[in-house]
Amino acid sequence: MSEPLLSVNDVTVRFGGIVALNGVSIDVASGAIQAVIGPNGAGKSTLLNVVTGLYAASGGAISFAGKRIDGAPSHLVSRSGIARTFQNTELFGEMSAIENVMVGSDRHHSYGLGSAAVHDGRYRRRETEARREAQDLLALVGLQDQQDTAASALPFGSQRRLEIARALATRPRLLLLDEPAAGLRAAEVEDLTRILLALRVERGLTILVIDHVMALVMAISDRISVLNFGRKIADGDPDSVRKSPAVIKAYLGEKAAHAFSA
Amino acid sequence: MVARLAIGTTGLALFLAAPHVLPEFRMFEICLIAATALVVLGQIVVTGFAGQISLAQAAFVGLGGYGPAILAATWGLPLWLGIPATAAVVGVGGFVLGQMTLRVSGHYLALATLAFTAIVQLALVHCDVLTGGAAGMAMPTFQIFGITLSKGSELYYLVLPITVLLFLVTGNVMRSRFGRGLAALRQSETAAEAMGLNVRRYKAAAFAASGFLGAIGGAMLALLSTYLDPAQFGITQSIYYLAIAVVGGMLSPVGIIVASAIFVFIPEWLQAFQSYLGLVFALLLLGFIVLRPDGLASLRPSALRLGLSRSGEGSR
Repeated sequence: MSEPLLSVNDVTVRFGGIVALNGVSIDVASGAIQAVIGPNGAGKSTLLNVVTGLYAASGGAISFAGKRIDGAPSHLVSRSGIARTFQNTELFGEMSAIENVMVGSDRHHSYGLGSAAVHDGRYRRRETEARREAQDLLALVGLQDQQDTAASALPFGSQRRLEIARALATRPRLLLLDEPAAGLRAAEVEDLTRILLALRVERGLTILVIDHVMALVMAISDRISVLNFGRKIADGDPDSVRKSPAVIKAYLGEKAAHAFSA
Repeated sequence: MVARLAIGTTGLALFLAAPHVLPEFRMFEICLIAATALVVLGQIVVTGFAGQISLAQAAFVGLGGYGPAILAATWGLPLWLGIPATAAVVGVGGFVLGQMTLRVSGHYLALATLAFTAIVQLALVHCDVLTGGAAGMAMPTFQIFGITLSKGSELYYLVLPITVLLFLVTGNVMRSRFGRGLAALRQSETAAEAMGLNVRRYKAAAFAASGFLGAIGGAMLALLSTYLDPAQFGITQSIYYLAIAVVGGMLSPVGIIVASAIFVFIPEWLQAFQSYLGLVFALLLLGFIVLRPDGLASLRPSALRLGLSRSGEGSR
């Protein structure tokens, strides 16, 4: 097997006395769509945040494309080719949809302060390029008609898709999605599934998705890792994970318990 | 395009006509408004666009005035060299101040920049040898190509073009990827970083710009008042600039020009109530914070605002 694109190796994250992640190892193969599932508080979001440099790992190593990235600041992790979306959407609310996407792609259409000061030819060419790329990405997620709408004025489902477009604008190799389907209607989940599958085919993107929504996870994932109380309790293809006794006890068992008490 | 040309021509005609129709004290006031607006432009770059509360503006203004005056007194450096050189150094200083203070944010950042202003003022008072201490020092007259600019109607030809130029340049930069970056980090630092923006550097650059603009504006103010009094570069003055920014609208260069004019004219309008001036400023500030948090700019959104608006229905 070739070297994984992302390799999380025995990573531990502590907040004071709380151990949010405890010796977790997850490999993501290049070109895969992989999912991390687990009950609330299992450490899923912590995993994304430690990979993207938002949290510091207390122990272990994280490598991306053969390079260590643990301890690197967030913006350098992004530049190395990892993009992400946020669980509670972190859009630039006052800016239009297209401006949100352009923030992501600006680094690839760069020009100097001098060009910006006088709005010269280079500025105009680069801005036009950036705008065109942003329009393509908006079209990809079906927001081409909302490019001038303020991000905060978009409906929730569209905000989710805008976050994906903005993440793609950084031209990542790995896309991390933090609960992209949470709060979406069934039809919207289907749209999202279609977009994600297309991204892998058309852009050769590797995707790591964290979610509760089984319809999405089971439909797109090649491989699923299950976290519970900060530990990895299972890892494998969707079928084997579904049948794993530890998963049923920790994940589905908890849900059953909820249903019973309700 | 035609509209822009028309505005440009009208502006130029007004610019050339003003000295012939307006009395000297009006010309002085116009210069004062322009220089004040320049200082406040520095304030809104850091506090409006980058969203970082700064009370360092009076210190930048003081340094911008003292710098060229000291360079002229010590080495005989002409002001036309001393003013931009000082502003560049203050800009670098602003960057360093940014790098040092931006580990903290919000109230703590305000306090750190407040301390910076206090320290600079103390330094100006205590470096007697260079600055004349608490008594202050005279600002030399501005001379270039054998022409001397000392009155308001003469300094007008220096202050106005510089102000217009720096407003245009700043406006352009704010409508570029740099302005987008600042707007992004103001709205979500976490997301801006996830987009690959070096947030610390962006913020420090905003401080650098505010230092540069504050110092140029400070030099213009010093030329107008012809005297540097360290008492003018304290915390109260920093709050005065912040107040103008609030009244004008934190994201509106045009708004702060109008606000600067209001703040320059108020003392004249209220001559009979001199002792209540502080109260009037305070009420004005309070009124805007409560009723119009986006400042004068919010009264006419489309005309006064830049693209990256605060509560926009999109920008274009």
